[in-house]
Amino acid sequence: MIVAAPAILLALAACLAFALRKRVTLVARLSLVALVVAFTLVSVTPTDTTARLVDLDLRVSDLGRLAGLLLLATIAMLVIDVLIDEPAYNFFPSALLAGAVVLTVLALTSPIVILAVLVLGLLMPVGTFTFQVHRNRSVDAAVRHFSFVVLGGSLGLGALALAASLPKDQPATTVVLLMVLLFVAFALMLAAIPFHTHAALLAGEAPASALALYFGVLVPVTFIAFAEILAGSGLLPAIVQVGKVQDLLLAIGLVSALGGALLAAGANDLRRLVVYAVISNLGSALVGIATLSGPGIIGGIAIALVTGACATQQLLAAGTLERRAAGERPNVTHAPLAAGAFIAGGIAMIGTPPLVSFPGHFFVDLIAYAVSGFAGTGLVASAILLLIAQLRAGVRLFAGSPEGWRIEPRPVAGVLGGIIFMALLAGGITPEAFLGPIAAFADEFLKALRPL
Amino acid sequence: MVYLGIIALVTLLANSATRLRLIAVTFVGIALVAAFIASPTATVPQAALTASAGFAAAGILFIAAGDGRYGEDPGWRLWLGTFTAAIVTPIAYASFRTISGEPATLPMFQDGSGVIVEVAGTWLLSSGVAIMLTARSAVRTSLAALVMVTGVQLLALLAPEPRLAATLALAWLEVVVALAGAFLIVNERAVRDA
Repeated sequence: MIVAAPAILLALAACLAFALRKRVTLVARLSLVALVVAFTLVSVTPTDTTARLVDLDLRVSDLGRLAGLLLLATIAMLVIDVLIDEPAYNFFPSALLAGAVVLTVLALTSPIVILAVLVLGLLMPVGTFTFQVHRNRSVDAAVRHFSFVVLGGSLGLGALALAASLPKDQPATTVVLLMVLLFVAFALMLAAIPFHTHAALLAGEAPASALALYFGVLVPVTFIAFAEILAGSGLLPAIVQVGKVQDLLLAIGLVSALGGALLAAGANDLRRLVVYAVISNLGSALVGIATLSGPGIIGGIAIALVTGACATQQLLAAGTLERRAAGERPNVTHAPLAAGAFIAGGIAMIGTPPLVSFPGHFFVDLIAYAVSGFAGTGLVASAILLLIAQLRAGVRLFAGSPEGWRIEPRPVAGVLGGIIFMALLAGGITPEAFLGPIAAFADEFLKALRPL
Repeated sequence: MVYLGIIALVTLLANSATRLRLIAVTFVGIALVAAFIASPTATVPQAALTASAGFAAAGILFIAAGDGRYGEDPGWRLWLGTFTAAIVTPIAYASFRTISGEPATLPMFQDGSGVIVEVAGTWLLSSGVAIMLTARSAVRTSLAALVMVTGVQLLALLAPEPRLAATLALAWLEVVVALAGAFLIVNERAVRDA
């Protein structure tokens, strides 16, 4: 029961938060307490603890524990930011439910149930995406997000159900068809290019905190769920035998990495830049998984997790800058600490050493070169484009004289950005603590790949 | 065969409905027929849980409509959705069923082999995809989402996964999809009425 306790606690807290949602300060404090208790419970639960709930096996894996702790910490930071800087009463229940979903997905072992719970979690932010509906297109953006998530989720669930019901040793065409369905399903949910239009619309219309909840917490957990589902579905040995499937995943990843980086380089506002950078990094992470190798899997999952933290840092900073700019072009004079946090997040996003984002990018780029020179070159090109995009944004932000710089009142985004940056730096100095649990999962993945 | 005919008919009815309340009522029909189709493969609690989720989802949409006038006219999109499902279902059936090498027969009523469940599930999934791709507002998007989830519920019965947990998770998913859809419908209407 200890395995399920943190998720159940967060789900109950979400129900309570929904009932009390109009009392923002009280609900925010309640949310923080629930997150701290859940964080403590996850951290004291030993790895490999198992439990059985209904007819379902639950397990605390090394990766599940690491990702659970990181993502709960991210949610707690978002709650603090929303409480102090951007009060929104509908955010807290969604954030708590997102936390419950994250912990559930990471503890589950059945692919169909993992995907069903994940889709449920991806629908949670719909309530937080819509705000001031008469003044913007946030309802359109939320409807499009809803469509993409349900479409992807249903296709993926259908493919998994069919795959599980079929006898073994299927012809190659059947395997290809099922895998195409599964990859398209996850491409829709991860907003991989060319299925990114909902993410583009959300970037322009949804509040920054809701975007951070989606791109900083739910998208990384979607990526981890993808890897877990691949490992648990029993389809991996068939993928090895049918080379086309591996090529397809590689192609989706490369198109997303390059396309996202190109769009980021041309983005005219900070939030779009961050969203496209996330899409590009997730493309690189998909390439890592597509290599079906230890370093590729470790690098891919590391990129997904670190990208979530960087996206949170940059989106919160972008939100603060836009609010303080009040319609003008955001500039360092509006909120110097937030601008600094945005730049620091950009440095981490592109995988600069000695931050913990470096090993993931390094592993994936290296193994991509080993698999295909074209893939390796594509990833390096996307990294250069992302660098240009972040530099361009930095130059625009810091244009002008430093004389007018005054530290903003309530510099929440700046302080939280600083904390995230320090954590990324600490992770980079001691990478074993971060990469070890991911390597344990990669081991399980490779065993599922070659069961004999 | 009879159940497949009925589910095709109720899907067509739901797809052609121009008012949200009528869509909700026809969706009760879809959930009911899906429960009948699932009954030989599923246990009683599983079938009851799935049907209850379907009724709850329909109820949520009915309430979200606010009054009997609100909806979306599908127009020519109705036929696109129907023909897409009619084309995709046999292709999917041929791809995923016949490869087992066993001759498959379509019984008149209930069957224990899962053929009807698979064909009905694929029909609902492909119908839902077609409706969603042609939807212009949250009304038909919500219908499409619920039709797809109902199709998935049928297909999941064939998997030897944890059955009760999967049924429970998918039932919750259906209710959450309906709640999110209703939230979007209410907000979209507020924007249009302004």
